[in-house]
Amino acid sequence: MLTRRAFLHASAALSSGLLLAPWLQTALGAPTTGSAPRRFIFMHKGNGLFPQVMVPPSLNNDDKDKEQRKQAFSVDLKQHELPEWMSPVAEHKSQMTILQGLSGKMCTTGHHTWQSSLGVYKANEALTSIKWATVDFELARMFPSPLEHIELACFPNDGGNARGNINGIEKGFSARGPQQPNYAFGSPKVAMQELFKSVSSNQSDRIQYELERRVLEFTAGNQSGLAAQVSGGERTKVANYVESIDSIRARNKKLEEMGDVIRRNLPQLDAKYLADDLSTTNRQWGHTEILLATLISGMTNVVTFTVDELGTHYTGLKGIENERVNLHDVGHGKGFGSLNADEIRRTVRTQHMALINKIITRLKGVPEADGNMFDNTMLFYFPDNGETHHSTGVEWPFVVFSGRNAKLDIAGRYIRLPYYGEEGHQTLGNWYTTLLNAHGNPIEHYGELDVALEKMKRNQKGPIKQFV
Amino acid sequence: MKTIVSLLILAGLLLLMTESPVCAQNAAGDATVPKDVAAVLNKFCAECHGEQTREAELRLDSLASLEKTARLEVMGKAQEQVAFELMPPQDANQPSAEQRQLVADWFASELRKNNTPTLEDKMRLPNYGNRVDHAKLFSGEVKAKPFTPARRWLVSPQIFTERVFDVLKLDERERAGKRPAGMYGVTNPFTLPERSGVRDYDLTAVDGGHFLVMQTNASWIADRIIGTIRIKLGEPVEKVLENKADRWYPLRGSMGGKAWAFDAFEVLIRKTSPPTQDELFAAIQLQFANALQRPANETELRSYLGLMREVIELGGNTEGLRKMLVAVLLESEFVYRLEFGAGEPDEFGRRMLSPREASYAIAYALGDKGPDATLVKAAQEGRLNSKDDYEREVKRLLADVTSFKGPVDPAYRNEHNDAYISTPHPKLVRFFREFFGYPLSLRVFKDVERSDGLYRVPDRGTNGTPGYLNVEADRVVARIVEADRNVFVSLLTTDEFFVYHNMDNEKGEKLIEGWRKVYETLKDTNWKQDPEQVAKDHAALLQQYVAPGAMKGKGRGVHETDLSRIMTLFEVTFGRGGRPFTTVPWAHGNRFWHSPFYNLPRTPREGEYDRDAAFDYHPVQPFALPHRKGILTHPAWLIAHSQNAATDPIRRGKWIREKLLAGSVPDVPITVDAQIPEHPDKTLRERLATATSKQECWKCHQHMNPLGLAFEMYDDFGRYRTVEQLEHPDNVIAKAKVKYGADTYKTASLITTGRLDGTGDATLDGDVTDALDMIDRLAKSERVRQSIIRHAFRFFLGRNELLSDSQTLINADRAYISSGGSFQAVVVSLLSSESIMYRK
Repeated sequence: MLTRRAFLHASAALSSGLLLAPWLQTALGAPTTGSAPRRFIFMHKGNGLFPQVMVPPSLNNDDKDKEQRKQAFSVDLKQHELPEWMSPVAEHKSQMTILQGLSGKMCTTGHHTWQSSLGVYKANEALTSIKWATVDFELARMFPSPLEHIELACFPNDGGNARGNINGIEKGFSARGPQQPNYAFGSPKVAMQELFKSVSSNQSDRIQYELERRVLEFTAGNQSGLAAQVSGGERTKVANYVESIDSIRARNKKLEEMGDVIRRNLPQLDAKYLADDLSTTNRQWGHTEILLATLISGMTNVVTFTVDELGTHYTGLKGIENERVNLHDVGHGKGFGSLNADEIRRTVRTQHMALINKIITRLKGVPEADGNMFDNTMLFYFPDNGETHHSTGVEWPFVVFSGRNAKLDIAGRYIRLPYYGEEGHQTLGNWYTTLLNAHGNPIEHYGELDVALEKMKRNQKGPIKQFV
Repeated sequence: MKTIVSLLILAGLLLLMTESPVCAQNAAGDATVPKDVAAVLNKFCAECHGEQTREAELRLDSLASLEKTARLEVMGKAQEQVAFELMPPQDANQPSAEQRQLVADWFASELRKNNTPTLEDKMRLPNYGNRVDHAKLFSGEVKAKPFTPARRWLVSPQIFTERVFDVLKLDERERAGKRPAGMYGVTNPFTLPERSGVRDYDLTAVDGGHFLVMQTNASWIADRIIGTIRIKLGEPVEKVLENKADRWYPLRGSMGGKAWAFDAFEVLIRKTSPPTQDELFAAIQLQFANALQRPANETELRSYLGLMREVIELGGNTEGLRKMLVAVLLESEFVYRLEFGAGEPDEFGRRMLSPREASYAIAYALGDKGPDATLVKAAQEGRLNSKDDYEREVKRLLADVTSFKGPVDPAYRNEHNDAYISTPHPKLVRFFREFFGYPLSLRVFKDVERSDGLYRVPDRGTNGTPGYLNVEADRVVARIVEADRNVFVSLLTTDEFFVYHNMDNEKGEKLIEGWRKVYETLKDTNWKQDPEQVAKDHAALLQQYVAPGAMKGKGRGVHETDLSRIMTLFEVTFGRGGRPFTTVPWAHGNRFWHSPFYNLPRTPREGEYDRDAAFDYHPVQPFALPHRKGILTHPAWLIAHSQNAATDPIRRGKWIREKLLAGSVPDVPITVDAQIPEHPDKTLRERLATATSKQECWKCHQHMNPLGLAFEMYDDFGRYRTVEQLEHPDNVIAKAKVKYGADTYKTASLITTGRLDGTGDATLDGDVTDALDMIDRLAKSERVRQSIIRHAFRFFLGRNELLSDSQTLINADRAYISSGGSFQAVVVSLLSSESIMYRK
């Protein structure tokens, strides 16, 4: 078992700046040989993800039986067909993992879950419920980048996170630390404005950027003067403040220096993606372009994408383009237009897979080191609340896509882990611990423990050993 | 167990010894071990940790490879070990005080040379508070003059909120409305650590995360101010505030009735040409007054003028205003309390707080808002320059029972109406709730089934069962603080508690008596067979004593009262010698189910009326409960100091050692996997003994276990018990029959004995029969009284006490005794002490 000391030493090494090089290489347009950064994309959906829709239809009877009885087994996806709704990502089957059997009863489940699925605790709208940084932030800090982390969201129209302005910058589904929600960009337009303002060709955006820069410069000057007048511990208090401002200025400067790279990779978005009243599917496509641009340009290595939430009123779905689909009603079995609830669920998932296909295909087209960018990327597709609409967290299905250099040995497989409460059962906490450990964070266990499993005396700490 | 910590400490000592007395190029770079230091180390450490003996399996050649950082860490730890007399071991020869000092000082000087925190720096940390020798502090022998180091003290979350309200010019009514949930666009960047004990220290520095949040907040606040002005000038709200979920703006609805507060800003927005210098100065001064509560000085005026002109040239008047508003809010002063002292230093090098600083120090000690008009006036007129001045103002504010009145914790207001926990001086109650740490019960997750379906876990929009229990603990504390007699003893020993008290005594008593009258009148009627007729025959009686309008004739909704329903309730309560709760079980949102955690019968719930003994509600509260004495036996405290699925004698014992006995227990060594082993047949006490009885464990656990184990008379939900359920899957006797019901396990007899030591009073120290015996002894202890006063000092001063604060603490202790146990007397004494008045 790793000690806290070992963890601290490892953390110190990771935060020492030694790993800053890759993004800087990208920024400077240098050939990205040697160690490339690891990239992570967390794409989560609302309304649950049924375990039964994840199963390859071509399983033999024995495996089908195991699946029915939720017994652990694993098969090579190469030998199997994917479920129909996964057809958009069929090309990436060898890099794909369908992971079943995780549980998340230590999370808030049911309709809305806030930071629960990424933080592995019971989060709700009260900031005090945010116990620690979500796993995406933990990874982002291990692989530093100028913006550290970007969160994009198709916010719900009603209920759940960020009630209100679905086009704005609102509290998201990730957390920077205890009681510190992250902020997510609600629309491609606002994300464009904020993330790419340093290279904007729009005069008003340029002026805003310049004015903000001026205020930071002014504040930094003021506070530096103040820091010079005090000493000892008191100086630290002001100096920290100055450093905070300076680090933001430095970040902006880096982004300015990366101007050419960013400009080269600027999202190419038609007007319809930048409109205020865009359809949900266009919002998703628009966000996908932003996601790709920030990753490819090296602005960030981690993107979290709320592809929808229970309170999303879907528009633009294939086959029912003119319907406004209330996902909550779908969860209760209601159909819209010509499609019943199951068909709508399938259509929604297929749309998500099409987005993923676009992301992976594009990343595969960008050279990096001796391969391409996807080699160093992992993408996770999962529900924000578990196995169904009124979920209890007894299952938490994942689809994972991992590139050639992935640290986990899971690609190309359908994996069903032991069911909840059975010997060897694994939780979301074990899963994220596996990810963190595999990438160099030796944390003993990430996330809350499941009290009921505790009562059953199940060991639930640590990574999923067979994955590493 | 050979921990890494002790290993490293020994490593450090050995390193120094072996390289001494010659000059050594060691950990600290060019450190030389002076001969006299080396002599002490050789004499007292070498015997066990020499090259031959290799205690701790230490090899000298491997020590030499320690990196500089690790070596400095060793020296830091070693300094502590020597200074706190933890090394050499008690049974070994001990160096003299001078020799210890010599070695500790040398470590300190080496650390300082390398910019590494020394013991002196660490002594400012909360967990080092008790390291200041208690006996010495209260001995009266310390003659050093009290002072607080000149400082910036980061504002508390509550003060931050009030400062934002100040900027937006909110009146008290608007503030009260906004406090519970906060403002849409403002995230409080500061949180206090979640721990038992004083949480708000002057040590915190803002960091990058804080600044990012402050940036977002500042933009939102500036938008609100500018938005308000634009709306006043006639622009439609929808256009100005596009987010329909965020259309609040200051002064809304009172635009005509209240003085317009943003004149100087409005001028800039109205104007189409560049503003004059005077107009810009006026705007800057207004924002300084609103945000920093002081005028800008000449330098600041010039500097901000430059910023505004630059921005206006580029972006126009409104942008110029916006950026100035933001920039002032980004001044670090907005988030710090500044206490540097002013004027000439006295003969001891201390400066007295300026009257203005003093007015804030006093105001923030007793509340979250800045100074009131009287304090401001006193400061302006130079009447805050002496102990008498401070005392006068503190006494005045404490005598004011309306200005500060409010809920102890506004976050609970959504669940419990504010009158329920309203108290004249919430800050005083806040000290005790932090000191006891019972609000941490919210953070201890409990399995509903283990509680037999009674425990509601805090969740979205609710604080669940611990929320109710915390409010009830707040009420016990508030009542004792308000009575202000024998406060500490009462808090530790009261047997009077509040349970479900959601109606004042008089009203509740009247309601129950009315209900009883209904029951007595109707019990022998035909109400079971023909309720409608009985209801009709006694319509007037029912109208008078049962909630008017609730007696529905037709059908029945889930939450509606009808005769059958209420008479059935009365039958299972009055009819069995009890009394019903004043809120009927079927009332919407009634989740008062936690009475069993006080060992009271279950609240009657429809369908389960025969499950438990008769419920007897006490409309007049507080009332006496058996097997309980004070806050340490309150379910909220017991849950807060428990594990998820078991009690926690270690945590309970540590709390008593540190909070009541002014003692210290080191942190868990980093290599110790602190787990209590599972065993189907052993009680927690037995399993704990297995884990901690080894000598190296017992060294620390002896200071906790004997104190905490006396509390084994309560389970982890706070229930008094006489046996312990052996909750292991092998021991299930009967599975639960109902959903969320608890399984029944084999039980084992319970031992509740413990041992008290460390009071410094031989008549109190010794074996105790149980927690109640221990609490009685603690309540009589002078050490306990003084320990609480030490914590009060930390709460009101925002720092650990120094030896030089000795006189302040002695005076506060005397004030408590001479006033008959008034906590207010302690507060007056602390807030008019030289410790608060002087900075150095």
